[in-house]
Amino acid sequence: MLEVPKSGVLVHDPDVCAGCGVCEVMCSLYHEGVLGTALARSHIVRHPFTAKHGHNICRQCSSPSCYFACPLKDKAICFDGTIGTTYIDEDECTGCGICIDACPFDPPRIKINAEKNVAFKCDLCKGREGGPICVEYCPFQALKFVSKDER
Amino acid sequence: MAKSYGWAGKVLQVDLANEIVNKVPTSDYRPEEFIGGVGLNAKIFWELGCPKVNAFDPANPLIISVGPLTGTYGPFGRGEVCSISPQCYPDELFTYSGFGGMFPAEMKYAGYDGIVILGKAEKPVYLSIHDEDVEIKNANDLWGLETFEAQKVLMNDEPEASILVIGPAGENLSRIAVILNETKFAAGQGGFGAVMGSKNLKAIAVRGTGVVAVAKPDKVLELTKPIIEENKKGVPLLRAMFRTPYMAPQETKDIFARKYFKKHYGCYGCPLQCHSIHYIPGIGLSGVSCANWLWSPKFSIDPKEVWEANVLSQRLGINTFEGIIGLPLLLALSLEAGILTRKEIEEDIGLPTPKWLGGTATNHEFLTLLLHKIANGESPYAEGTPRFTEYFGKKLMSGEKLVNLYKELYTARGYAFHHVDNLGSALHWATDTRDPVDSCHEYKNSAPEAMEHFGLPPYDNYQIIDLSKTVYQGAERVTAWVQDNQCLKNSLPVCEFWSLITSFYNPPEMDLRIFESRLLSAVTGLDMDVGKIAKAGERIWNLRRAIMVKRENRTRENDTLNEPYFKKAITCPAGSATGLVNGPIDKAKFEALKDRYYELRGWDVNTGWPTRAKLEELGLKDVADELASIGKLP
Repeated sequence: MLEVPKSGVLVHDPDVCAGCGVCEVMCSLYHEGVLGTALARSHIVRHPFTAKHGHNICRQCSSPSCYFACPLKDKAICFDGTIGTTYIDEDECTGCGICIDACPFDPPRIKINAEKNVAFKCDLCKGREGGPICVEYCPFQALKFVSKDER
Repeated sequence: MAKSYGWAGKVLQVDLANEIVNKVPTSDYRPEEFIGGVGLNAKIFWELGCPKVNAFDPANPLIISVGPLTGTYGPFGRGEVCSISPQCYPDELFTYSGFGGMFPAEMKYAGYDGIVILGKAEKPVYLSIHDEDVEIKNANDLWGLETFEAQKVLMNDEPEASILVIGPAGENLSRIAVILNETKFAAGQGGFGAVMGSKNLKAIAVRGTGVVAVAKPDKVLELTKPIIEENKKGVPLLRAMFRTPYMAPQETKDIFARKYFKKHYGCYGCPLQCHSIHYIPGIGLSGVSCANWLWSPKFSIDPKEVWEANVLSQRLGINTFEGIIGLPLLLALSLEAGILTRKEIEEDIGLPTPKWLGGTATNHEFLTLLLHKIANGESPYAEGTPRFTEYFGKKLMSGEKLVNLYKELYTARGYAFHHVDNLGSALHWATDTRDPVDSCHEYKNSAPEAMEHFGLPPYDNYQIIDLSKTVYQGAERVTAWVQDNQCLKNSLPVCEFWSLITSFYNPPEMDLRIFESRLLSAVTGLDMDVGKIAKAGERIWNLRRAIMVKRENRTRENDTLNEPYFKKAITCPAGSATGLVNGPIDKAKFEALKDRYYELRGWDVNTGWPTRAKLEELGLKDVADELASIGKLP
C-alpha cells in the first residue's frame, strides 16, 4: 500500500479576508506571468453584500483522489517530498481531465489551462523561498500556511 | 502583429439605439501614447469629434477605460469614466471621474481596455459582457431598484460578474447621481449616473475569464516588492485614518471601531484596502471611506445618523460629497450668516429643520426627505447645489446673498471647495474642467518632497494661508508638473489617493515617474522611460485642453475661480482642512501667473490655446490641424 506523504495546506479565514484578490493576482503573476483570475490557483468567491468571502483552493488531501485517478500518476501528478504537496508536472500532463472529475470538491480545485492543454492546481509554491506567495502578500494574514508537521 | 502586453487589446463600442455591438483594436487609439484611462477616453472622445451636445443627449458618449497597470498587484485596480458632465456648472463640460473596486480588473480580464456607450435604448436595458459575448438585455425588472438590490438580482443570473449600476437618482437624471460598483466604489463626481440613466442603461455586468500577458513578470514582482514591504511595517495611514468617521469625536470613532466595524475593504489587487465595511442592524452593511464620513462633524455625531447618511446615499446612488455635505452645509452656513431663516428652509425650500438648522426635526427626517427628493429627481435638490442655488437665488428675498455664499463654497465650475490653500492648486482648479480632488492633496502632501527632488520651488512659497509670505513666481511650474502627473496617474492608472504616500515613500526609486515608468515598461515590454511617460502626461493634458478649446470654446477668460476667491479670505468649511483660512488671491498677480503658465505650457498667452509647435512636439499634429480648420489655433 502506497504511503501518501503528509502535506502542508493553506487555510483561509473568511472573517478577516477583505476579498481584495491580491492572492489571485500574485498567484497568476508568479506561476503564469499573466494578469487575470482564470489561471490563478487561488480563487476568492466574493460576497460583497455580506462581506464574507469564500476561498477555493486545493485542500492537499491526505488521500488525494486526483493522484489515484491520474493515468500517469507519479509522472503527471506527483508528490513533493519537501513541502508535501501533490503537484502537476506540466511536461507530462496530457490534459485528459480525469483528475478534475476525481476531485471531491465542488467546484473542483483543479482546472484546465486550455492554451497549454494541461491541468493546474495549487502546489503551495513548492521550491519558492518564502513559501506560498499568496500567504506572503495577503494584506490581512487571512491566508495561513499550515506546514505538514503542524497539520 | 507583435504580441501585446499590458493592454487587453480591444475597445468595445455599443450603440444602444440600434443595438449594435462592435469591437475595435485598442491599437487604433495609439495606447502607447495615450496609455489608458483618462488618456484613452480623451483620445476616443476626440476621434468621435467632441460632440457639442448636452449631457443627456443620446449622442453624448459614456466612455469607461482601464489602463495597462489595471489588475496588477498594487494601487492600480482603477478605471476612469469620461463623458459630458451634467454636474458641471454653468456649462456641461467633458470631464472625468475615477473609480475603483472590482469592475476595472474584471473588465480588463474580459478583454477590454475601453467601453464606449452611445445612443439611448428604447426601454430599460443592461449590458451583459461575458468575455467575447456582449448582449444588450432587458432591464425592466431592474429599473427602479436601489443599487444594492439591483446588483443582488443581477448576481442571481451572473454570480461572478462585477457590476456597475445606477440607483433611482441616476434613473431620474439627478445631476449628482453616481455610477456604483458593490457598496462603495463610485464614479462619484460628474453626475455620470444620470448619463447612464439618460441612456436607459441600468447596469453593466462584466465577467472576464481571460488573461492579459505581462512582458516581464519577474521584473514586476521585483518592482512591486517595496509595496508589500511597506505594507508590513504597520497599518497604512489612510486605512487607519478612514476606518472610522475621522472628523467626529473620539467617542463616536470608538463606537464604530468597537461595535460596527466588520473588516477592511478596497480595490482589486491592492494591499492598502483603504475602505472599510461597517454594519449597523436596521440600517445595513456598506463600505465607507473619506467623503462618506463627512456628514458627521457639522450635523451629527450620532453613529446611526452618520451611518444612515452614507448607506442611504449609496443605495439611492447619490454623490455623498454633494448630497450629504454640499447642500446641507450651504443651508447650515446660510442660517448661521442670517441669509436664510428656519422658516424659509421649511416653507420655501421644503425641508424639515433639525437642531443644526434651528428646528426640532430629527436628522433621520431631514436626511430621508432630502435624499429621496434628490433620488426621485423632482425637486431642485436633484439638480445639485449650483442649480439649486440658482433656482432659490431667484425666488428668495436674500437670494443674491445665497448665491454669493455658494460661490465661496464652490470654487469653480460647480464643484465644492477642496484644498484651495495654495496658488498651485488654485491655478489647477482654474484650468481644469472639474475639481482636481486628489491632485489638490498632492500640492501639500507629496509634491513638496518631489519638488525638492526635481528642483521645483518649495511649497511654502506659494501657500495662500499667510499672504505676507506668498510668492507668485514659480507656482506655474508646480501646477504644470502636478497636472501632467495627474493625467498620467489617471491613465496608467495609479490610485491618486495611495500615490499621495507611496510614490514618495522611498524617493527617488518610488517617485511616480521613476517607479511607474519602470513598472509600465515591465508590464508592457515597451521602453517607457521617465521622459516618455512624463511626455505622455503632458500629451494627455494638452489633448484635454484641445477638447475644451474645440467643444467648449475655452479661452483664458474661463480659466478662473469664482469671484470671492479674489475678494476675501475664505474659511474651509469641511474635511481635514476645516477652519483653515486662505486668500484672497491677488487678481492681477494671478493673471500674471496665468501668463507664465501659458508660456510654460507652450500655449498662446492671449487665448490660452495650445500652439501648433507644442501640439506637434507632442505628436498631436492631427489635433493642431483640426483646431486650425475651425479657427482655433493661435
